[in-house]
Amino acid sequence: MSNQTNESSSGKSSLLGWFDERYPVSSTWNKHVGEYYAPKNFNFWYFFGSLALIVLVNQIVTGIWLTMSYQPSNAEAFNSVEYIMRDVEWGWLLRYLHSTGASAFFIVVYLHMMRALLYGSYKKPRELVWVIGMLLFLVLMGEAFMGYLLPWGQMSFWGAQVIISLFGAIPVIGPDLALWIRGDFVISEVTLNRFFALHVIALPLVLVILVFMHLVALHHVGSNNPDGIEIKKLKDNKGIPLDGIRFHPYYSVKDAMGAVFFFILFALVLFYAPEGGGYFIEAPNFEPANPLKTPDHIVPVWYFTPFYAILRAIPDKFLGVVAMGAAVVILFALPWLDRCKVKSIRYRGNSYKVLLTILVISFFVLGFLGTQPSTPLYTKLAQIFTALYFMFFLVLPFTSANEKTKPVPERVT
Amino acid sequence: MKKILWIASLLLLPMTMNVQAAGGYSIELESAENNIRDQESLKRGAVLFSNYCMACHSLKYMRYNRVARDLGWSDDEVITEMAHGLNTVTENVMTRMNDGVARAVLGSDAPDLSLMARLKGDDYIYTFLRAYHQDEQGKWDNSVLKGTAMPNVLEGIQRHASPDEYAEVARDITNFLAYAGEPSKLERLDLGWKVIAFLLVLLLLLYLLKREYWRDIKH
Amino acid sequence: MSTEDQMSTGVNLTRRKVLTGATGVVGAIGAGFMMVPFIGSWLPSERAKAAGAPVNADISQLQPGQMLTISWRGKPVWVVRRTPEMLKILAENVTELRDPNSEESIQPEYSKNTFRSVNKEFLVVVGICTHLGCAPLYRPAVGSPDMQEGWQGGFFCPCHGSRFDLAGRVAKSVPAPINLEIPPYHFLSNNIVRVGEDPVEGGVA
Repeated sequence: MSNQTNESSSGKSSLLGWFDERYPVSSTWNKHVGEYYAPKNFNFWYFFGSLALIVLVNQIVTGIWLTMSYQPSNAEAFNSVEYIMRDVEWGWLLRYLHSTGASAFFIVVYLHMMRALLYGSYKKPRELVWVIGMLLFLVLMGEAFMGYLLPWGQMSFWGAQVIISLFGAIPVIGPDLALWIRGDFVISEVTLNRFFALHVIALPLVLVILVFMHLVALHHVGSNNPDGIEIKKLKDNKGIPLDGIRFHPYYSVKDAMGAVFFFILFALVLFYAPEGGGYFIEAPNFEPANPLKTPDHIVPVWYFTPFYAILRAIPDKFLGVVAMGAAVVILFALPWLDRCKVKSIRYRGNSYKVLLTILVISFFVLGFLGTQPSTPLYTKLAQIFTALYFMFFLVLPFTSANEKTKPVPERVT
Repeated sequence: MKKILWIASLLLLPMTMNVQAAGGYSIELESAENNIRDQESLKRGAVLFSNYCMACHSLKYMRYNRVARDLGWSDDEVITEMAHGLNTVTENVMTRMNDGVARAVLGSDAPDLSLMARLKGDDYIYTFLRAYHQDEQGKWDNSVLKGTAMPNVLEGIQRHASPDEYAEVARDITNFLAYAGEPSKLERLDLGWKVIAFLLVLLLLLYLLKREYWRDIKH
Repeated sequence: MSTEDQMSTGVNLTRRKVLTGATGVVGAIGAGFMMVPFIGSWLPSERAKAAGAPVNADISQLQPGQMLTISWRGKPVWVVRRTPEMLKILAENVTELRDPNSEESIQPEYSKNTFRSVNKEFLVVVGICTHLGCAPLYRPAVGSPDMQEGWQGGFFCPCHGSRFDLAGRVAKSVPAPINLEIPPYHFLSNNIVRVGEDPVEGGVA
């Protein structure tokens, strides 16, 4: 072995030794990085976890810097964003890093979730990794929603108005609940202030804690892989998984490479299409919030549109809200809805492949429909694809129980 | 690798479809074909903006000294050209009309135009400026924004100048407003490729390093 | 034997080290570039610079012995119209001063003289004590009742007792280390002084 990270704590340089006696520096490093054994066959889909972490750091750092110049008030919120864009040295870059980062976060997270669906990463023993991940997704949606109010443009205002009104659809307590969330009879500075507080302090804190727990849970059970094989089953005489390699340097280098590739795509959008074709920064948001004038066409940011389309597909207000909520919440149950023992799609039966394809197509189509004005045709389509979306979760328990799977190899390929 | 490209292209696909295109204006928008790198056009646009727009409209997020710096004017020149020597360079580009006058005279407040290009797009502004027409009774209307309270400020040019000159006036004003919508845009465009070039070098190094380490791994 | 079997293959350690070093250096340069916007954004913004632009003070109404305060970059700037008596005292009383020739103090070259001014009748000075940034009091009269004995007229800082004369020159054995700062300024006319801008070459100075 040429690497020094494997030395036991006794023979270490005195400074590190001094720390190790007082704080678990080496053991923590070894447990989670230096001697964390990950399957050697990670593919493209395994970049998105580390990318999500990088985007989170970007959001936190640029967010902190933006709060230095942003003012959460009715009179100044919109102005202060333009102040950042025009007057603050490098302000435009910080703002675009944050706004592009928000969309990048969801792209990365959706792909990360897709990976779990492909290779069964939510299955035993990783149910909690998935559940914590879903909590992260929920909090992230809240974080993004509240952050979107802060520029105080027309879309910020009316988007928040629509979403908060959803809570009003809940029987009995709904109207009071919506009033309580707003703290006023319309969205106002009061709402802006509390969203600001939650966006910059509360939810980021929760996100960071959940990310920590997500990683602790993952490193406790070990990583899944594209073959869906538990590498811990086969170990050498030193107790090292035969198909495992140390995270550092192998995956640290590989992830760094993936990160830089991602930065290039990110920079392309950031520098050459920061509005993301009107999806990342919506044009109506260049007009200050006006409680007396609704934009012609209110569209949530793209990452919410699949769920928004489900909401609009249901003709009943309350049931629409329920369906939208269910579309997210049902994902929590996935580890128990999928009863197939085989994890990876490589060895699963056709029924799962077909179902997953339908789910992904539904998600994309709903996402598209959510950006469009509702017409009778689009509403009909939204209803069909909403049904298909839910069908995945309702049919899966039955098909997966007796799926025709292929034999899973002993070792990873 | 093929898969990576496939997914990347799938992700970029929606961005090619501009949401704004679904805006649904009553006429097809003309292409402004303006160029924010054309400083002469921007200068002409700024002067035209001062002469034809600032009577009612402001650019409240722009300062004269910023306009001067970005358009290649000296501080004194921008005040001469845009403000008839009446303002100081650190002031914002405000309308010459007093508050409330537009509402009283035209029935509607004249919006600030700082972000109009980002709100509506360059083509919208260009087309809107040129979309004024007179009916038999001599009443003006605008085919982009029907019933607009804004008068046809370019009427003199529309009547007396050549079609090319008229188009250029509208294009220059559009160009100036496009610049004002995001004054740091050129800085953004010029920085981008440098960042990407740097990242490509780093990517190459990391690729070599990754390949070097992964020689240890037997499949 | 686990997968990462490094002994059997001929690992080129030199190549590995060189690549690691090169990547580390380029990565560190990138990180350095990345810090530029974050550090740069703390510089005064365009708005702050606009607010810090030169300001004009109308001194036509200023009587001999009077002081006018204007705001430049958010700081108080005093314009004092000095009487001939005051100037006489300033010219004579130099022994009690720490830096009578303003060698260590901050002022434009054109104000580095006995009266620390362009036109000796007018003192233009930043009204912030060079000790810890308090605003000194204006006590122009010789023997001002609330001042110590032998007061020759000047500025007194209530925070820590620093004393300056009417040219902003600091007294000996007080906490303030240097004379009051003189901002760049010039006279646009006999009645207008422009603070925050050096005189144009060949202009009225």
